[in-house]
Amino acid sequence: MIKKNNLLKTFVFAAALLVGMGTSSFWAGKAIAADSKDAGTIEDLTPSMSYAEYQKRYEAYYGDATAQMAEEGNPADFLLDDGKDLANKVVGSKGKSCASCHGKDALKLKGVATGYPKYNAALGGIMTIPLQINTCLKQAMGAKPLKYESYDQLALTMYVKSLSNGMPIKVSIDGPAQPFYKKGEAAYYKRQGQLNFSCAICHVQYAGYKARSNLISNNKHHVDHWPSYRLKWGKTGSLQRRFRGCLKNMRAKRQPYQSEEYRNMELYLTYINNGDLIQVPGMRM
Amino acid sequence: MPRIGKIKIRVPRSIHKGEVIAIKTLITHPMETGFRKDKKTKKKIPAFYISDVSMYYGDTLISRADWTIAVSTNPFMTFYVKADKTAPLKIVWKDIRGGVYEKTIQIKPQ
Repeated sequence: MIKKNNLLKTFVFAAALLVGMGTSSFWAGKAIAADSKDAGTIEDLTPSMSYAEYQKRYEAYYGDATAQMAEEGNPADFLLDDGKDLANKVVGSKGKSCASCHGKDALKLKGVATGYPKYNAALGGIMTIPLQINTCLKQAMGAKPLKYESYDQLALTMYVKSLSNGMPIKVSIDGPAQPFYKKGEAAYYKRQGQLNFSCAICHVQYAGYKARSNLISNNKHHVDHWPSYRLKWGKTGSLQRRFRGCLKNMRAKRQPYQSEEYRNMELYLTYINNGDLIQVPGMRM
Repeated sequence: MPRIGKIKIRVPRSIHKGEVIAIKTLITHPMETGFRKDKKTKKKIPAFYISDVSMYYGDTLISRADWTIAVSTNPFMTFYVKADKTAPLKIVWKDIRGGVYEKTIQIKPQ
């Protein structure tokens, strides 16, 4: 009995080793190790199909299911109302609310979300809307910053973005933002994790094909509808929550919210979506 | 903290007298089945779901629904009403912990 078990274990181990070796040599021609110092090189991947072809596949597979669900009732809409109330609420040691600087219902922020994420000199890096909200809370209002992905933080982010609904995204990568854009692109193409995937492998090379019976999304329209409700979560979440979800599935190490790499990646993804109209909240599977 | 009991009711914009209209409702509720385990504590998350929905048109109870754990989070429901009178339409959701959520809208057939 014991001998048989040992044999089985050895066989399984050997098979796994062979598969592991086989996989790594298959990718080795073009792979960049996750911790390679050469992290600036972008892997040369062929996009799988045109956006038109991707749209055809999307229609064929999902029809208008998500659009209909969003139209019938998106639970994330409640965050819009709560976000507006929060923007008017006085909080912190300086006795201010968002409305104190940005007008009642923060209406002066209309159109502002189209330029985010953007370079911020004081931060020395890329500023996203959730980070900006926390920065305003800490510095301008003397209040406690909100935990990322908490209801209030999402509600405020969603509300600020919704003030730009229907407007085209217009982020800039000129001047000081340029190196961060490059870093974001490198992060998007970086191979990482146990499966040695990168974001680009799925979303550039295999977009339009299926993974876990879901269509892998194309890069276009990737960021214009975030924060979004997601059926899988039963909750609303931010784009960076989605990053972390993918990274978990890739068996890659995840960073805390609003880490430098995630903010750079957000800049990269938002830049390649320049021109898409903001439509929050979204509805995703 | 979950925000429970936020309600959205959609009624067609123009209603003719005697027309059968579709009322679409959405309520936020976790609808916990009682079978899920907390990933950190490994303990079962106790069941918490809406069990009873009643719809009143004017003073009469026109429909009632028994919901169970099969209904998912933030339930969306459509039901049909023959709009033969101008009266308030009230929908009451009750969950197993005694929470009661209701909303009333006016139905005004032209």
